Amino acid sequence: MNGHQPRTTAAARLSGLTKRWPGFHLGPLDLTLEPGTVLALVGPNGAGKTTTLNCMAGLIVPDEGGTEVFGAAVHPDRPDYRRDVGYVGEENGFFQRWTAGRNLDFMAELLPGWSQDRARRLVERFALPLGKPVNKLSRGNRTKLALVAALAHGPRLLLLDEPTAGLDPVVRAEVLDVLWEITEDGEHAVLYSTHVLSDINRIADELAFLRDGQLVLRTGREELSERWRRVSFRLQEEDVELEGVVEHRRVRAEHQVITRDAAATLQRLTELGAEAVEVSRMSVDEIAVQILKEGHHVARAES
Amino acid sequence: MWHALRAELVYFRPWLLGGLGIAAGVGALLMGIIWFVPDADGTPGFLPEMFLIIAGMVVSFIAQSYRWEERRARLLLAGPLTPRQLAGVTVLLPACLVGLAALAALVKFGLFALVTGQLELANLGFIGAFTGEFLGYAQMGPLAQEATAARRQGRGRAAVLGWTVFVGAVLVLGATMVFRNAIQGYLGQLMVVVTAMAVTVWLYEGRTDFTR
Repeated sequence: MNGHQPRTTAAARLSGLTKRWPGFHLGPLDLTLEPGTVLALVGPNGAGKTTTLNCMAGLIVPDEGGTEVFGAAVHPDRPDYRRDVGYVGEENGFFQRWTAGRNLDFMAELLPGWSQDRARRLVERFALPLGKPVNKLSRGNRTKLALVAALAHGPRLLLLDEPTAGLDPVVRAEVLDVLWEITEDGEHAVLYSTHVLSDINRIADELAFLRDGQLVLRTGREELSERWRRVSFRLQEEDVELEGVVEHRRVRAEHQVITRDAAATLQRLTELGAEAVEVSRMSVDEIAVQILKEGHHVARAES
Repeated sequence: MWHALRAELVYFRPWLLGGLGIAAGVGALLMGIIWFVPDADGTPGFLPEMFLIIAGMVVSFIAQSYRWEERRARLLLAGPLTPRQLAGVTVLLPACLVGLAALAALVKFGLFALVTGQLELANLGFIGAFTGEFLGYAQMGPLAQEATAARRQGRGRAAVLGWTVFVGAVLVLGATMVFRNAIQGYLGQLMVVVTAMAVTVWLYEGRTDFTR
C-alpha cells in the first residue's frame, strides 16, 4: 500500500472528461470517487462505461478534460499514477500461451510494489490453477487471474469493467467478497461497471447511471432504496395524478404503481381515499432497471 | 522496456525455433537435391541461409499479429512503461527476431565451411544483404499497423506520413536489390530500417488509444 498522499485526496476525480468517436460522444463527465467507496457505473451497452474506465486507466487519451488518481494526473506519458491503479478489463493482454503462474511471474517483475505474499494469498483464495495456459482457462479463472494481477501490487484504486459478467454464482460471490474486503480499510476505492444489476445490492455504496455517454444520475444506494416503493391500491377513479409515480398499471379499480417518492405518493392516496393500500420495498437492482428503462426524465427528477 | 522485450522474445522462441527448423529442413532438402541428383548443376549457394533469415522475418509478422490479438499494450501499460518504451518493444522485437535468424544463418555458414572445407566468402556478403533487406521488411509490419491506427484515431496527417514512409521504404528496399552486396545497398537498407523504426515510434507515441 502506498502512503505518499494524504487521505483527504480523492481516489479518482474526473473533470470535464470528454471523448468523441464517430457516432458516439462521451461526456463531459465530472465525477469524484472518495477512498473507501464502491461506485457502480451502471448503464446499457454502449453507454460509455468501458470508455470511461479506459480513460481512467490511461488506456485512452480523452479529447478534453482529464482524470486524477490520488492527486496524480492520468496520462500514458506519466506512469506514476499506475502505482495506485489496478485495472481488470474484459481482455487483459496476458501471454495467452503461457501459464497463469508464468504470467504472474512476469507481472511481479513488471510492477513496482508487487507482493508475492499478497499474490499467493489471492491465488489460494481463488483456487486459481497456476499451471494452466491462459488460453485454456475458463472465463471465471481468467477473471480471477486478472484480479490477482491487478491487486498484488497494492493499488488503492481498483477499476473493474464488467468483472462478474459470465461468472457462475459461486465465483461471482467470491469475487464480490474480495472487493468488499478491499474497501473495508477506508483507504481503497473501487469503481466498477456492470449490467449484472444484482451485484449492486451486494457491494455498491453509490451508483452512477450512464446513458448515451452522459452521467444522468449519481446517488447513494441507501438513498435510492429508502424512497422507491411499489404500491398497490384500490381506487375507482380512472385518471389519477400521483406525484413521484414512474410506472402505473391498472386493471379496473386495482392499481399498481412504482414511485420514486413513496411519502408523497402515499399522502396523495390518503387524500384520494384509496383502499387496500399495500406498500412493498424494491431491491436496488429493480430500481436501477426502472431508472434505466425510464431514461433521462426519471434520472433528472431524481437529481 | 528490456524486461518486456526479453519476455516477448522468450514467448516467441518456440515460433522462431520452429521457423528456423522448417527453413533448415528446406535448405537441407535443396542441398541434397543439388549434391545427390546426377543432373543437378551448381551449389546451393546462399539459399539455405536466405531461408533462415526469411523464417526470422515471417516469425516477426506472426509475433506482431499475436501481440495485437492478445492486446499486449494493455498488459504492459499496467506497469511503469511509457508509450515510447512500448513502441521500443514493438520495433525492437522484429529486429531481434530477424537478427537471431541471421545469427543462425551465420552459424550454418560457418558449419558448412568447417564440414566441407569450402569457404565461399561471397555468401557472407549475401547473408549481410538479405539480413538488411529482411530487417527492413520486418519493420514494415509495425509501421503499417501504426499508420492504420493513426487513421482510425483521426490523426490524418500522421497516417499519411506513415503510409508515405511505408511506400517509400518498400521502393527503396526494392532498389537495394540492384545494389546488393554493395555499399549503396547496405546504406539504403540501413536508412529504411532506421527511418521505419523512428516513424513507427513517433506514430505510437501519438496514439490516443492503447487498448491494443
